Amino acid sequence: MVVSKREKASYYLFLLPAYLVFTVFIFYPMLRSIYLSLCKYSMSSIQNAAFVGLKNYANLFKNNIFWKVLKNTAIYTLFTVPLTIAAGLFLALLINNRLVKRKTAYKVIYYVPYVSSMVACAIVFKLLFDSGTNGIINQILMKLGLQPVGFLSSNFWAMAVVILLSVWKSLGYVMIIYLGGLMGIPTEIYEAVSLDSISPWQKLRYITLPLLKPTTQFLFITQIISSFQVFTPVNVMTSGGPGYATTTLVSMLYEAGFKDGNMGKASAIAVIIFVVLTVLTMIQNKLGEED
Amino acid sequence: MKKEKIQIPREALLEQRKTRLFKILINMILILGAVIMLLPLLWMLATAFTPNTRIPPLSLIPKSFTFENFVEAWNFPSAFSYGDNKVTMGTFFKNSLISTALITVFGIIVDSLAAYVLAFKTFPGKKLFYYLALSTLMIPVYVTLVPEYLIIVKLGWVNTYKALIIPFLASGMGITLFRSSFLSVSKELEESAKIDGASNLRIYATIVMPISKPTIGTMFILKAMWSWDMYIWPLVVSTDINMKTIQIGLNLFKGLNTTEWGYLCAGMTMAILPMVIVFLCAQKQFISGLQAGAVKG
Repeated sequence: MVVSKREKASYYLFLLPAYLVFTVFIFYPMLRSIYLSLCKYSMSSIQNAAFVGLKNYANLFKNNIFWKVLKNTAIYTLFTVPLTIAAGLFLALLINNRLVKRKTAYKVIYYVPYVSSMVACAIVFKLLFDSGTNGIINQILMKLGLQPVGFLSSNFWAMAVVILLSVWKSLGYVMIIYLGGLMGIPTEIYEAVSLDSISPWQKLRYITLPLLKPTTQFLFITQIISSFQVFTPVNVMTSGGPGYATTTLVSMLYEAGFKDGNMGKASAIAVIIFVVLTVLTMIQNKLGEED
Repeated sequence: MKKEKIQIPREALLEQRKTRLFKILINMILILGAVIMLLPLLWMLATAFTPNTRIPPLSLIPKSFTFENFVEAWNFPSAFSYGDNKVTMGTFFKNSLISTALITVFGIIVDSLAAYVLAFKTFPGKKLFYYLALSTLMIPVYVTLVPEYLIIVKLGWVNTYKALIIPFLASGMGITLFRSSFLSVSKELEESAKIDGASNLRIYATIVMPISKPTIGTMFILKAMWSWDMYIWPLVVSTDINMKTIQIGLNLFKGLNTTEWGYLCAGMTMAILPMVIVFLCAQKQFISGLQAGAVKG
């Protein structure tokens, strides 16, 4: 089909709104972030951004809090992602079993936390795990004759509760995606091997899991990316505390940029987050290609 | 039919018993899991309907039933005479509702318009535009937060609906999802309509979009959920209490008064309910759409 020049030009009008938004609110800010990370730029002063080279990065790398925060983010990701994926896979395998009826009911119930607002869920968990004797879990512990635990005032427990909330909340999503992956496995494959007697465990180990690999990979990468940017539950539940025990990279970015008005430092943290995520994605892609 | 005593081999009987036991076990795990998953939210609901007390109730069934908490929460913070008395949870709710509705409706239009030409047309730079859309998926929201905020300041959009809505009118996720859904529409259908003299906009509106209802449904829920739950962005661009959204209002509520358990839980119920209702109404379509999106990646 011959297409006139005018017609072709009109295609770009279809693209215009979307790419205008992308340019102004994603691509330009992305580049600007890199530039600002090399500048001294304070929100409160009227001065323009002054180029200082890698100083913001050097300051961050010298800062013990930054390393602590990086470690927190890594620990959070290291526990949240595998736990969520393992639990989601386990549930998906159970629900997919032909012996289970009311599959839809289970799917809906497990998915409800995922559609519930994160702020509300974080507040609920804050009330449940409140350190005082009013906290629901502590009320239960005391009824059982145990000592109340200062969940959100202990370094260890505060992080554990944040992780628990995240696993609880996104488990349903992982389960739904795995169920989709399981539906995509042709039943003929199982029929073919059912002639040879293999145990259900072998079936899982040698057929189901390898066939689910693309799904697992998709989940790992998306979950790592979102975990590395955790902010809302931390901000609502612990405000990064006690001390810096649950401060994550994004909460440090928020504090630096919007509390202290140090946009250069905030941008440097943003670029570090971006670089880490890009490297992780590339490693993941490489691993995927190799098999 | 004649009744015959069939000799069932012992092994088959054993197998049958094993299957039955296994079935009970799986269902028990699933029921237990479901209870654990729902407990926090059930507790919230129960507390929202229990008369407000200083000590949060342990019970999952309200001893006496009240709507009072919802009324109080809805009138918060004027009930606590904090700030402007005209601003209430209702204001926050309205702000969230307006921005969510506009992001969802216009976002779907913007994404699908771009996806339409990316799926059906050939033109210079087509590949580049597709990869640009994909690349936005790789740029995390927080990475662009600071400059994005500075742009809003420069545009004079702080404390306006524009700041809450316009940056989210296009999404790489929406464009790629619509594109892959449009690709499954037969190209001949689109071309024959073209030969009949229909304009591109007309084909988009009367042929392509109506066929893609499932994708529209999925994107509708994804966008609605995402914009309703937005947290850091309104935290940054809505500094005026008149422009705060429900999520920010909720956190404000928590910060002001942590002993009004009933009010707080009622407020949280109101913040959660709209999305849960949307999900329950469209769950079938939503789940399959989500799975399709993941598989196609």
